[in-house]
Amino acid sequence: MTRALAIHGLGHAYALRTVLEDIDLELPAGRTVALVGPSGCGKTTLLHLCAGLLTVQKGTLENGFLRPAVMFQQPRLLPWKTTRDNIALGLKALGVPAGERLARAGAVGRSVGLDELALGQFPHALSGGMQSRAALARALALAPDLLLMDEPFSALDIGLKSQLHRLLLEHQAAHGLAVLMITHDLMEAVRLADTLLVMAAEPGRIVHRVELATPARRRGDAEVYQTTARLLQHPAVCASFGLEPPAPAENGTGGCTVLPLHGDSDAGCAAPALRKKGFSC
Amino acid sequence: MTLLRAWLTGIPAYLWSGWGAIASLFLLLAAWEGASAVHGALILPDPGTVFATLAGLVDSGAAWPELAVTARRAATGLALAIAAGSTLGMLAGISMTASMMSRPLVTVLLGTPPIAWLVLAMLWFGASDGTPVFTVFIACFPVIFVGALQGTRTLDGHLREVATVYRLPLRMKLFDLYLPHVVSYLFPAWITALGTSWKVVVMAELLSSADGVGAALAVSRSHLDTAATLAWIAAVVLTLLTVEYLLLEPVKRELEGWRRQETEGGAA
Ligand SMILES: Nc1ncnc2c1ncn2[C@@H]1O[C@H](COP(=O)(O)OP(=O)(O)OP(=O)(O)O)[C@@H](O)[C@H]1O
Ligand SMILES: [Mg+2]
Repeated sequence: MTRALAIHGLGHAYALRTVLEDIDLELPAGRTVALVGPSGCGKTTLLHLCAGLLTVQKGTLENGFLRPAVMFQQPRLLPWKTTRDNIALGLKALGVPAGERLARAGAVGRSVGLDELALGQFPHALSGGMQSRAALARALALAPDLLLMDEPFSALDIGLKSQLHRLLLEHQAAHGLAVLMITHDLMEAVRLADTLLVMAAEPGRIVHRVELATPARRRGDAEVYQTTARLLQHPAVCASFGLEPPAPAENGTGGCTVLPLHGDSDAGCAAPALRKKGFSC
Repeated sequence: MTLLRAWLTGIPAYLWSGWGAIASLFLLLAAWEGASAVHGALILPDPGTVFATLAGLVDSGAAWPELAVTARRAATGLALAIAAGSTLGMLAGISMTASMMSRPLVTVLLGTPPIAWLVLAMLWFGASDGTPVFTVFIACFPVIFVGALQGTRTLDGHLREVATVYRLPLRMKLFDLYLPHVVSYLFPAWITALGTSWKVVVMAELLSSADGVGAALAVSRSHLDTAATLAWIAAVVLTLLTVEYLLLEPVKRELEGWRRQETEGGAA
Protein backbone atom coordinates (compact mmCIF):
# COMPACT_ATOMS: atom_id res chain seq x y z
CA MET A 1 0.00 0.00 0.00
CA THR A 2 1.30 3.48 -0.78
CA ARG A 3 1.88 6.02 1.95
CA ALA A 4 -1.38 7.83 1.43
CA LEU A 5 -4.81 8.29 2.87
CA ALA A 6 -7.51 7.66 0.28
CA ILE A 7 -11.19 8.20 1.03
CA HIS A 8 -13.97 7.53 -1.47
CA GLY A 9 -17.68 8.00 -1.01
CA LEU A 10 -17.35 7.91 2.76
CA GLY A 11 -20.56 8.29 4.75
CA HIS A 12 -21.33 8.10 8.44
CA ALA A 13 -24.45 8.09 10.57
CA TYR A 14 -24.90 8.20 14.34
CA ALA A 15 -27.95 6.00 14.88
CA LEU A 16 -30.40 7.31 12.27
CA ARG A 17 -28.81 10.72 11.85
CA THR A 18 -26.54 11.06 8.81
CA VAL A 19 -23.64 13.37 9.63
CA LEU A 20 -21.29 12.66 6.72
CA GLU A 21 -22.17 11.96 3.12
CA ASP A 22 -20.09 11.14 0.07
CA ILE A 23 -16.73 12.41 1.23
CA ASP A 24 -13.82 12.14 -1.22
CA LEU A 25 -10.34 12.96 -0.04
CA GLU A 26 -6.77 12.14 -1.06
CA LEU A 27 -3.84 12.83 1.23
CA PRO A 28 -0.41 11.74 -0.08
CA ALA A 29 2.74 11.80 2.03
CA GLY A 30 4.19 15.23 2.71
CA ARG A 31 1.00 17.14 1.91
CA THR A 32 -1.38 19.10 4.10
CA VAL A 33 -5.15 19.07 3.82
CA ALA A 34 -7.09 21.60 5.87
CA LEU A 35 -10.73 21.05 6.66
CA VAL A 36 -12.93 24.03 7.47
CA GLY A 37 -16.64 24.09 8.06
CA PRO A 38 -19.34 25.25 10.44
CA SER A 39 -19.56 23.81 13.94
CA GLY A 40 -21.30 20.45 14.06
CA CYS A 41 -20.86 19.64 10.36
CA GLY A 42 -18.96 16.42 11.06
CA LYS A 43 -15.30 17.41 10.88
CA THR A 44 -14.34 15.62 14.07
CA THR A 45 -16.34 12.60 12.95
CA LEU A 46 -14.33 12.49 9.72
CA LEU A 47 -11.07 12.79 11.63
CA HIS A 48 -12.04 9.99 14.02
CA LEU A 49 -12.90 7.80 11.03
CA CYS A 50 -9.41 8.47 9.66
CA ALA A 51 -7.91 7.66 13.07
CA GLY A 52 -9.72 4.33 13.13
CA LEU A 53 -11.76 5.25 16.20
CA LEU A 54 -15.04 4.80 14.33
CA THR A 55 -15.85 1.96 11.97
CA VAL A 56 -16.43 2.79 8.35
CA GLN A 57 -20.11 2.31 7.54
CA LYS A 58 -20.24 3.42 3.93
CA GLY A 59 -17.63 3.99 1.26
CA THR A 60 -13.93 3.18 1.54
CA LEU A 61 -11.09 4.50 3.64
CA GLU A 62 -7.57 3.26 2.97
CA ASN A 63 -4.84 4.41 5.29
CA GLY A 64 -1.39 3.41 4.08
CA PHE A 65 0.53 5.35 6.71
CA LEU A 66 2.50 3.37 9.23
CA ARG A 67 2.71 5.68 12.19
CA PRO A 68 -0.27 7.99 12.54
CA ALA A 69 -0.63 10.38 15.47
CA VAL A 70 -3.76 12.18 16.57
CA MET A 71 -4.23 15.46 18.34
CA PHE A 72 -7.78 15.63 19.63
CA GLN A 73 -10.05 18.63 19.93
CA GLN A 74 -9.58 18.48 23.72
CA PRO A 75 -6.05 18.01 25.11
CA ARG A 76 -6.89 14.61 26.66
CA LEU A 77 -3.74 14.37 28.76
CA LEU A 78 -3.62 11.65 31.40
CA PRO A 79 -4.21 13.52 34.67
CA TRP A 80 -2.00 11.18 36.73
CA LYS A 81 1.08 11.66 34.57
CA THR A 82 3.35 14.69 34.47
CA THR A 83 3.46 16.68 31.25
CA ARG A 84 6.78 15.09 30.32
CA ASP A 85 5.42 11.56 30.85
CA ASN A 86 2.32 12.49 28.86
CA ILE A 87 4.43 13.64 25.94
CA ALA A 88 6.43 10.42 26.14
CA LEU A 89 3.30 8.24 26.11
CA GLY A 90 3.51 7.19 22.46
CA LEU A 91 7.25 6.53 22.72
CA LYS A 92 6.68 4.35 25.77
CA ALA A 93 4.11 2.37 23.80
CA LEU A 94 6.76 1.84 21.11
CA GLY A 95 9.10 0.44 23.74
CA VAL A 96 11.65 3.29 23.73
CA PRO A 97 13.77 3.00 26.93
CA ALA A 98 12.91 5.44 29.73
CA GLY A 99 16.00 7.65 29.57
CA GLU A 100 15.80 8.20 25.85
CA ARG A 101 12.06 8.76 25.71
CA LEU A 102 12.12 11.33 28.51
CA ALA A 103 14.97 13.18 26.82
CA ARG A 104 13.09 13.20 23.54
CA ALA A 105 9.86 14.22 25.23
CA GLY A 106 11.70 17.08 26.93
CA ALA A 107 13.16 18.26 23.62
CA VAL A 108 9.79 18.20 21.83
CA GLY A 109 8.15 19.84 24.83
CA ARG A 110 10.64 22.70 24.75
CA SER A 111 10.18 23.08 20.98
CA VAL A 112 6.48 23.82 21.54
CA GLY A 113 7.43 26.32 24.23
CA LEU A 114 6.93 24.35 27.45
CA ASP A 115 9.61 25.04 30.08
CA GLU A 116 11.11 22.64 32.65
CA LEU A 117 8.60 23.70 35.29
CA ALA A 118 5.63 22.96 33.04
CA LEU A 119 7.14 19.64 31.97
CA GLY A 120 7.34 18.52 35.60
CA GLN A 121 3.80 19.54 36.49
CA PHE A 122 0.60 17.58 36.26
CA PRO A 123 -1.74 18.62 33.43
CA HIS A 124 -4.32 20.36 35.64
CA ALA A 125 -1.64 22.86 36.67
CA LEU A 126 -1.14 23.95 33.06
CA SER A 127 -3.11 26.64 31.27
CA GLY A 128 -5.45 25.62 28.46
CA GLY A 129 -2.97 26.69 25.80
CA MET A 130 -0.13 24.86 27.54
CA GLN A 131 -2.25 21.72 27.67
CA SER A 132 -2.95 21.87 23.96
CA ARG A 133 0.74 22.43 23.26
CA ALA A 134 1.52 19.38 25.39
CA ALA A 135 -1.00 17.43 23.34
CA LEU A 136 0.71 18.62 20.15
CA ALA A 137 4.09 17.63 21.56
CA ARG A 138 2.72 14.20 22.42
CA ALA A 139 1.74 13.74 18.78
CA LEU A 140 4.98 15.16 17.33
CA ALA A 141 7.18 13.14 19.71
CA LEU A 142 6.18 10.00 17.83
CA ALA A 143 7.77 11.37 14.62
CA PRO A 144 4.56 10.37 12.83
CA ASP A 145 4.13 10.05 9.07
CA LEU A 146 0.49 11.11 9.33
CA LEU A 147 -0.71 13.76 11.73
CA LEU A 148 -4.43 14.18 12.32
CA MET A 149 -5.19 17.40 14.18
CA ASP A 150 -8.51 18.73 15.43
CA GLU A 151 -8.35 22.50 15.95
CA PRO A 152 -4.77 22.27 17.19
CA PHE A 153 -4.01 25.96 17.67
CA SER A 154 -7.39 27.38 18.62
CA ALA A 155 -6.39 27.96 22.26
CA LEU A 156 -3.23 29.94 21.45
CA ASP A 157 -2.31 33.60 21.02
CA ILE A 158 -1.15 34.80 17.60
CA GLY A 159 2.53 34.79 18.54
CA LEU A 160 2.51 31.19 19.69
CA LYS A 161 0.33 30.27 16.76
CA SER A 162 2.80 31.49 14.18
CA GLN A 163 5.69 29.93 16.11
CA LEU A 164 3.92 26.57 16.04
CA HIS A 165 3.00 27.00 12.38
CA ARG A 166 6.71 27.34 11.63
CA LEU A 167 7.48 24.31 13.80
CA LEU A 168 4.91 22.24 11.95
CA LEU A 169 6.24 23.27 8.55
CA GLU A 170 9.79 22.42 9.67
CA HIS A 171 8.64 18.99 10.85
CA GLN A 172 6.90 18.49 7.57
CA ALA A 173 9.98 19.41 5.57
CA ALA A 174 12.19 17.17 7.68
CA HIS A 175 9.98 14.07 7.91
CA GLY A 176 7.69 14.24 4.88
CA LEU A 177 4.77 14.34 7.25
CA ALA A 178 1.22 14.26 5.88
CA VAL A 179 -1.19 16.47 7.81
CA LEU A 180 -4.96 16.49 7.98
CA MET A 181 -6.02 19.41 10.10
CA ILE A 182 -9.33 20.82 11.17
CA THR A 183 -9.47 24.51 11.88
CA HIS A 184 -11.95 27.32 12.34
CA ASP A 185 -9.34 29.84 11.29
CA LEU A 186 -9.56 30.30 7.53
CA MET A 187 -6.31 32.23 7.44
CA GLU A 188 -4.49 29.45 9.25
CA ALA A 189 -5.84 26.96 6.73
CA VAL A 190 -4.66 29.12 3.85
CA ARG A 191 -1.25 29.53 5.49
CA LEU A 192 -0.55 25.86 6.09
CA ALA A 193 -2.51 23.76 3.62
CA ASP A 194 -1.85 22.48 0.14
CA THR A 195 -5.49 21.61 -0.23
CA LEU A 196 -8.33 23.38 1.52
CA LEU A 197 -11.67 21.64 1.83
CA VAL A 198 -14.78 23.57 2.85
CA MET A 199 -17.55 21.51 4.37
CA ALA A 200 -21.22 22.30 4.78
CA ALA A 201 -23.58 20.84 7.36
CA GLU A 202 -26.72 18.68 7.28
CA PRO A 203 -25.40 16.33 6.08
CA GLY A 204 -21.66 17.01 6.29
CA ARG A 205 -20.21 17.13 2.80
CA ILE A 206 -17.42 18.85 0.92
CA VAL A 207 -18.76 21.81 -1.00
CA HIS A 208 -15.61 23.57 -2.10
CA ARG A 209 -12.04 22.55 -2.81
CA VAL A 210 -9.10 24.91 -3.16
CA GLU A 211 -5.63 23.84 -4.29
CA LEU A 212 -2.92 26.27 -3.18
CA ALA A 213 -0.07 26.09 -5.63
CA THR A 214 2.70 27.91 -3.73
CA PRO A 215 4.42 25.58 -1.23
CA ALA A 216 3.36 26.59 2.28
CA ARG A 217 6.93 27.41 3.34
CA ARG A 218 7.21 30.04 0.62
CA ARG A 219 3.79 31.56 1.04
CA GLY A 220 4.05 35.22 1.99
CA ASP A 221 1.75 37.11 4.33
CA ALA A 222 0.27 39.22 1.55
CA GLU A 223 -0.67 36.17 -0.42
CA VAL A 224 -2.23 34.54 2.63
CA TYR A 225 -4.34 37.60 3.45
CA GLN A 226 -5.55 38.00 -0.10
CA THR A 227 -6.42 34.37 -0.63
CA THR A 228 -8.30 34.37 2.66
CA ALA A 229 -10.19 37.52 1.74
CA ARG A 230 -11.08 36.10 -1.64
CA LEU A 231 -12.17 32.81 -0.09
CA LEU A 232 -14.51 34.68 2.21
CA GLN A 233 -16.17 36.19 -0.85
CA HIS A 234 -16.83 32.80 -2.36
CA PRO A 235 -20.55 31.93 -2.53
CA ALA A 236 -20.03 28.31 -1.44
CA VAL A 237 -18.03 29.42 1.60
CA CYS A 238 -20.56 32.09 2.53
CA ALA A 239 -23.41 29.64 2.21
CA SER A 240 -21.66 27.01 4.30
CA PHE A 241 -20.96 29.37 7.20
CA GLY A 242 -24.26 31.23 6.83
CA LEU A 243 -22.49 34.53 6.09
CA GLU A 244 -24.01 37.45 4.23
CA PRO A 245 -23.51 36.76 0.53
CA PRO A 246 -20.77 38.95 -0.99
CA ALA A 247 -21.65 42.28 -2.55
CA PRO A 248 -21.86 42.18 -6.38
CA ALA A 249 -18.40 41.60 -7.85
CA GLU A 250 -16.18 44.62 -8.07
CA ASN A 251 -13.11 43.17 -9.60
CA GLY A 252 -9.95 43.57 -7.60
CA THR A 253 -9.35 45.16 -4.23
CA GLY A 254 -6.90 47.98 -3.55
CA GLY A 255 -5.31 47.85 -6.95
CA CYS A 256 -4.70 44.08 -6.83
CA THR A 257 -6.24 41.80 -9.38
CA VAL A 258 -7.46 38.57 -7.85
CA LEU A 259 -6.89 35.58 -10.03
CA PRO A 260 -8.48 32.16 -9.53
CA LEU A 261 -6.38 29.32 -8.18
CA HIS A 262 -6.15 25.73 -9.25
CA GLY A 263 -9.32 23.72 -8.95
CA ASP A 264 -11.27 26.84 -8.24
CA SER A 265 -13.55 26.33 -11.19
CA ASP A 266 -16.63 28.19 -10.06
CA ALA A 267 -14.96 31.18 -8.45
CA GLY A 268 -17.15 34.21 -7.94
CA CYS A 269 -15.16 36.57 -10.11
CA ALA A 270 -15.00 36.18 -13.85
CA ALA A 271 -11.27 36.55 -14.27
CA PRO A 272 -9.41 35.21 -17.29
CA ALA A 273 -8.37 31.58 -16.99
CA LEU A 274 -4.79 32.33 -16.17
CA ARG A 275 -3.49 29.26 -14.31
CA LYS A 276 -0.38 30.81 -12.92
CA LYS A 277 0.01 30.64 -9.20
CA GLY A 278 -1.61 32.89 -6.68
CA PHE A 279 -2.07 36.54 -7.38
CA SER A 280 -0.61 39.26 -9.46
CA CYS A 281 -0.60 42.86 -8.46
CA MET B 1 11.86 4.57 48.83
CA THR B 2 10.46 7.97 47.89
CA LEU B 3 7.16 6.66 49.19
CA LEU B 4 8.75 5.86 52.54
CA ARG B 5 10.48 9.25 52.75
CA ALA B 6 7.32 11.09 51.81
CA TRP B 7 5.48 9.05 54.42
CA LEU B 8 7.98 9.91 57.18
CA THR B 9 8.22 13.60 56.35
CA GLY B 10 4.46 13.81 56.01
CA ILE B 11 3.74 12.57 59.54
CA PRO B 12 4.41 15.78 61.58
CA ALA B 13 2.26 17.99 59.34
CA TYR B 14 -0.33 15.28 59.29
CA LEU B 15 -0.42 14.96 63.10
CA TRP B 16 -0.57 18.72 63.44
CA SER B 17 -3.61 18.79 61.17
CA GLY B 18 -5.25 16.31 63.56
CA TRP B 19 -5.77 18.71 66.50
CA GLY B 20 -9.47 19.05 65.74
CA ALA B 21 -9.86 15.28 65.78
CA ILE B 22 -7.93 15.02 69.07
CA ALA B 23 -10.09 17.68 70.68
CA SER B 24 -13.26 15.80 69.79
CA LEU B 25 -11.76 12.57 71.15
CA PHE B 26 -11.11 14.30 74.49
CA LEU B 27 -14.71 15.46 74.54
CA LEU B 28 -15.77 11.85 74.12
CA LEU B 29 -13.52 10.81 77.02
CA ALA B 30 -15.06 13.53 79.18
CA ALA B 31 -18.57 12.34 78.37
CA TRP B 32 -17.52 8.76 79.18
CA GLU B 33 -16.10 9.91 82.52
CA GLY B 34 -19.37 11.69 83.26
CA ALA B 35 -21.52 8.69 82.37
CA SER B 36 -19.31 6.48 84.49
CA ALA B 37 -19.77 8.77 87.49
CA VAL B 38 -23.55 8.59 87.07
CA HIS B 39 -23.92 4.83 86.49
CA GLY B 40 -21.18 3.38 88.64
CA ALA B 41 -18.07 1.36 87.87
CA LEU B 42 -19.84 -1.99 87.40
CA ILE B 43 -21.93 -0.72 84.48
CA LEU B 44 -19.35 1.65 83.01
CA PRO B 45 -15.85 1.90 84.52
CA ASP B 46 -14.18 5.28 84.00
CA PRO B 47 -11.60 5.73 81.20
CA GLY B 48 -8.69 5.75 83.66
CA THR B 49 -9.54 2.26 84.95
CA VAL B 50 -10.10 0.91 81.46
CA PHE B 51 -6.80 2.22 80.11
CA ALA B 52 -5.00 0.99 83.24
CA THR B 53 -6.48 -2.47 82.60
CA LEU B 54 -5.37 -2.23 78.98
CA ALA B 55 -1.87 -1.22 80.06
CA GLY B 56 -1.88 -4.20 82.42
CA LEU B 57 -2.87 -6.52 79.58
CA VAL B 58 -0.10 -5.12 77.43
CA ASP B 59 2.52 -5.24 80.22
CA SER B 60 1.71 -8.81 81.22
CA GLY B 61 2.06 -9.79 77.57
CA ALA B 62 -1.50 -11.11 77.47
CA ALA B 63 -2.68 -8.69 74.78
CA TRP B 64 -0.14 -9.25 72.02
CA PRO B 65 -0.70 -12.95 71.24
CA GLU B 66 -4.46 -12.47 71.07
CA LEU B 67 -4.15 -9.39 68.88
CA ALA B 68 -1.68 -11.22 66.64
CA VAL B 69 -4.03 -14.17 66.16
CA THR B 70 -6.93 -11.84 65.37
CA ALA B 71 -4.81 -9.72 63.04
CA ARG B 72 -3.65 -12.83 61.20
CA ARG B 73 -7.22 -13.98 60.58
CA ALA B 74 -8.44 -10.53 59.55
CA ALA B 75 -5.44 -10.00 57.28
CA THR B 76 -5.87 -13.38 55.60
CA GLY B 77 -9.55 -12.80 54.87
CA LEU B 78 -8.91 -9.22 53.80
CA ALA B 79 -6.02 -10.19 51.51
CA LEU B 80 -8.15 -12.84 49.82
CA ALA B 81 -11.02 -10.36 49.42
CA ILE B 82 -8.70 -7.67 48.02
CA ALA B 83 -7.15 -10.06 45.52
CA ALA B 84 -10.42 -11.59 44.36
CA GLY B 85 -12.54 -8.44 44.60
CA SER B 86 -10.10 -6.16 42.77
CA THR B 87 -9.40 -8.60 39.95
CA LEU B 88 -12.97 -9.74 39.39
CA GLY B 89 -14.35 -6.22 39.80
CA MET B 90 -12.02 -4.82 37.16
CA LEU B 91 -12.75 -7.68 34.80
CA ALA B 92 -16.46 -7.18 35.29
CA GLY B 93 -16.03 -3.45 34.72
CA ILE B 94 -14.37 -3.96 31.35
CA SER B 95 -17.37 -5.84 30.00
CA MET B 96 -20.75 -4.15 29.99
CA THR B 97 -22.58 -7.51 30.15
CA ALA B 98 -20.53 -8.74 33.08
CA SER B 99 -21.13 -5.56 35.07
CA MET B 100 -24.88 -5.72 34.44
CA MET B 101 -24.98 -9.36 35.49
CA SER B 102 -22.82 -8.99 38.57
CA ARG B 103 -24.62 -6.00 40.02
CA PRO B 104 -27.65 -7.85 41.49
CA LEU B 105 -25.40 -10.61 42.83
CA VAL B 106 -23.27 -8.04 44.61
CA THR B 107 -26.33 -6.32 46.00
CA VAL B 108 -27.44 -9.64 47.49
CA LEU B 109 -23.97 -10.18 48.99
CA LEU B 110 -23.92 -6.64 50.40
CA GLY B 111 -27.39 -7.03 51.86
CA THR B 112 -26.73 -10.32 53.64
CA PRO B 113 -25.69 -9.60 57.25
CA PRO B 114 -22.26 -10.94 58.26
CA ILE B 115 -23.86 -12.83 61.16
CA ALA B 116 -25.75 -14.98 58.64
CA TRP B 117 -22.49 -15.85 56.87
CA LEU B 118 -20.93 -16.55 60.26
CA VAL B 119 -23.57 -19.13 61.09
CA LEU B 120 -23.05 -20.81 57.72
CA ALA B 121 -19.29 -20.66 58.16
CA MET B 122 -19.57 -22.32 61.58
CA LEU B 123 -21.50 -25.15 59.95
CA TRP B 124 -18.94 -25.49 57.15
CA PHE B 125 -15.64 -24.83 58.92
CA GLY B 126 -16.36 -25.60 62.60
CA ALA B 127 -14.03 -24.05 65.14
CA SER B 128 -11.08 -23.80 62.75
CA ASP B 129 -9.50 -20.59 61.46
CA GLY B 130 -11.63 -21.06 58.37
CA THR B 131 -14.70 -19.63 60.07
CA PRO B 132 -13.42 -16.10 60.84
CA VAL B 133 -11.35 -15.96 57.64
CA PHE B 134 -14.32 -16.91 55.47
CA THR B 135 -16.65 -14.49 57.26
CA VAL B 136 -14.16 -11.65 56.80
CA PHE B 137 -13.69 -12.54 53.16
CA ILE B 138 -17.37 -12.65 52.34
CA ALA B 139 -18.07 -9.40 54.23
CA CYS B 140 -15.25 -7.50 52.47
CA PHE B 141 -15.46 -8.95 48.98
CA PRO B 142 -18.53 -7.08 47.68
CA VAL B 143 -17.30 -3.70 48.94
CA ILE B 144 -14.03 -4.09 47.05
CA PHE B 145 -15.72 -5.62 44.02
CA VAL B 146 -18.05 -2.62 43.70
CA GLY B 147 -15.12 -0.17 44.06
CA ALA B 148 -13.16 -1.89 41.30
CA LEU B 149 -16.23 -2.16 39.09
CA GLN B 150 -17.13 1.50 39.43
CA GLY B 151 -13.55 2.62 38.95
CA THR B 152 -13.24 0.69 35.72
CA ARG B 153 -16.62 1.78 34.39
CA THR B 154 -16.07 5.48 35.09
CA LEU B 155 -12.82 5.73 33.14
CA ASP B 156 -13.22 8.55 30.62
CA GLY B 157 -13.95 7.17 27.14
CA HIS B 158 -11.84 10.00 25.73
CA LEU B 159 -8.76 8.64 27.47
CA ARG B 160 -9.51 5.17 26.17
CA GLU B 161 -9.46 6.64 22.65
CA VAL B 162 -6.06 8.15 23.40
CA ALA B 163 -4.86 4.69 24.39
CA THR B 164 -6.19 3.31 21.12
CA VAL B 165 -4.64 5.85 18.78
CA TYR B 166 -1.29 5.81 20.57
CA ARG B 167 -1.40 2.02 20.36
CA LEU B 168 -0.75 1.31 24.02
CA PRO B 169 0.00 -2.37 24.55
CA LEU B 170 -2.21 -4.26 26.99
CA ARG B 171 0.33 -3.96 29.80
CA MET B 172 0.47 -0.18 29.46
CA LYS B 173 -3.29 0.08 29.22
CA LEU B 174 -3.46 -1.68 32.57
CA PHE B 175 -0.66 0.16 34.38
CA ASP B 176 -0.81 3.61 32.78
CA LEU B 177 -4.52 3.96 32.15
CA TYR B 178 -6.79 1.68 34.15
CA LEU B 179 -4.92 1.19 37.43
CA PRO B 180 -4.11 4.85 38.21
CA HIS B 181 -7.75 5.71 37.71
CA VAL B 182 -9.19 2.64 39.41
CA VAL B 183 -6.89 2.99 42.42
CA SER B 184 -8.66 6.20 43.40
CA TYR B 185 -11.84 4.15 43.68
CA LEU B 186 -10.19 1.00 45.00
CA PHE B 187 -8.20 2.54 47.81
CA PRO B 188 -11.19 3.95 49.70
CA ALA B 189 -12.90 0.59 49.19
CA TRP B 190 -9.87 -1.17 50.67
CA ILE B 191 -9.93 1.11 53.71
CA THR B 192 -13.64 0.51 54.23
CA ALA B 193 -12.97 -3.21 53.88
CA LEU B 194 -10.15 -2.99 56.42
CA GLY B 195 -12.54 -1.56 58.99
CA THR B 196 -15.14 -4.17 58.16
CA SER B 197 -12.63 -7.01 58.41
CA TRP B 198 -11.47 -5.91 61.86
CA LYS B 199 -15.01 -5.66 63.22
CA VAL B 200 -16.23 -8.87 61.63
CA VAL B 201 -13.25 -10.92 62.75
CA VAL B 202 -13.88 -10.00 66.39
CA MET B 203 -17.51 -10.95 66.06
CA ALA B 204 -16.63 -14.26 64.41
CA GLU B 205 -14.09 -15.09 67.11
CA LEU B 206 -16.52 -14.21 69.86
CA LEU B 207 -18.89 -16.91 68.65
CA SER B 208 -16.60 -19.51 67.17
CA SER B 209 -12.99 -19.42 68.39
CA ALA B 210 -11.01 -20.35 71.45
CA ASP B 211 -8.38 -17.67 70.98
CA GLY B 212 -8.04 -14.16 69.62
CA VAL B 213 -9.50 -10.89 70.85
CA GLY B 214 -13.07 -12.06 70.27
CA ALA B 215 -12.54 -15.08 72.48
CA ALA B 216 -10.92 -12.86 75.14
CA LEU B 217 -13.98 -10.63 75.02
CA ALA B 218 -16.23 -13.67 75.51
CA VAL B 219 -14.20 -14.70 78.57
CA SER B 220 -14.23 -11.24 80.18
CA ARG B 221 -17.96 -10.98 79.56
CA SER B 222 -18.58 -14.34 81.27
CA HIS B 223 -16.58 -13.04 84.29
CA LEU B 224 -18.74 -9.86 84.24
CA ASP B 225 -15.45 -7.98 84.00
CA THR B 226 -16.64 -4.75 82.35
CA ALA B 227 -13.25 -3.06 82.68
CA ALA B 228 -11.47 -5.88 80.82
CA THR B 229 -14.23 -5.95 78.18
CA LEU B 230 -13.82 -2.24 77.55
CA ALA B 231 -10.02 -2.62 77.59
CA TRP B 232 -10.21 -5.20 74.80
CA ILE B 233 -12.62 -3.01 72.85
CA ALA B 234 -10.21 -0.10 73.25
CA ALA B 235 -7.37 -2.31 72.01
CA VAL B 236 -9.35 -3.25 68.92
CA VAL B 237 -10.34 0.33 68.12
CA LEU B 238 -6.86 1.74 68.76
CA THR B 239 -5.23 -0.85 66.52
CA LEU B 240 -7.59 -0.04 63.68
CA LEU B 241 -7.14 3.71 64.06
CA THR B 242 -3.37 3.36 64.12
CA VAL B 243 -3.27 1.26 61.00
CA GLU B 244 -5.75 3.40 59.13
CA TYR B 245 -4.51 6.87 59.97
CA LEU B 246 -0.79 6.40 60.36
CA LEU B 247 -0.20 3.89 57.60
CA LEU B 248 -2.91 3.96 54.96
CA GLU B 249 -3.92 7.60 54.91
CA PRO B 250 -0.41 8.92 54.06
CA VAL B 251 0.02 6.18 51.45
CA LYS B 252 -3.27 7.24 49.95
CA ARG B 253 -2.21 10.87 49.87
CA GLU B 254 1.01 9.89 48.16
CA LEU B 255 -0.71 7.66 45.58
CA GLU B 256 -3.06 10.45 44.66
CA GLY B 257 -0.45 13.19 44.42
CA TRP B 258 -1.87 14.37 41.12
CA ARG B 259 -5.31 14.73 42.63
CA ARG B 260 -4.10 16.49 45.77
CA GLN B 261 -2.29 19.13 43.71
CA GLU B 262 -5.55 19.60 41.93
CA THR B 263 -7.53 20.42 45.06
CA GLU B 264 -4.75 22.60 46.46
CA GLY B 265 -4.62 24.43 43.16
CA GLY B 266 -8.36 24.87 43.37
CA ALA B 267 -8.21 26.28 46.90
CA ALA B 268 -5.33 28.66 46.17
N1 LIG C 1 -20.95 10.11 19.60
C1 LIG C 1 -21.96 10.76 18.95
N2 LIG C 1 -23.22 10.28 19.00
C2 LIG C 1 -24.22 10.90 18.35
N3 LIG C 1 -24.07 12.01 17.65
C3 LIG C 1 -22.84 12.54 17.54
C4 LIG C 1 -21.73 11.95 18.21
N4 LIG C 1 -20.62 12.70 17.95
C5 LIG C 1 -21.05 13.71 17.18
N5 LIG C 1 -22.37 13.63 16.93
C6 LIG C 1 -23.15 14.54 16.10
O1 LIG C 1 -22.56 14.57 14.82
C7 LIG C 1 -22.51 15.88 14.33
C8 LIG C 1 -21.08 16.20 13.91
O2 LIG C 1 -20.27 16.24 15.06
P1 LIG C 1 -18.73 16.57 14.99
O3 LIG C 1 -18.16 16.44 16.35
O4 LIG C 1 -18.10 15.75 13.92
O5 LIG C 1 -18.78 18.10 14.56
P2 LIG C 1 -17.59 19.10 14.25
O6 LIG C 1 -17.68 19.45 12.81
O7 LIG C 1 -16.31 18.55 14.72
O8 LIG C 1 -18.00 20.37 15.09
P3 LIG C 1 -17.06 21.41 15.91
O9 LIG C 1 -16.46 22.32 14.90
O10 LIG C 1 -18.02 22.13 16.79
O11 LIG C 1 -16.06 20.62 16.67
C9 LIG C 1 -23.02 16.79 15.43
O12 LIG C 1 -24.30 17.23 15.05
C10 LIG C 1 -23.12 15.94 16.64
O13 LIG C 1 -24.29 16.23 17.35
MG1 LIG D 1 -15.00 19.00 16.25
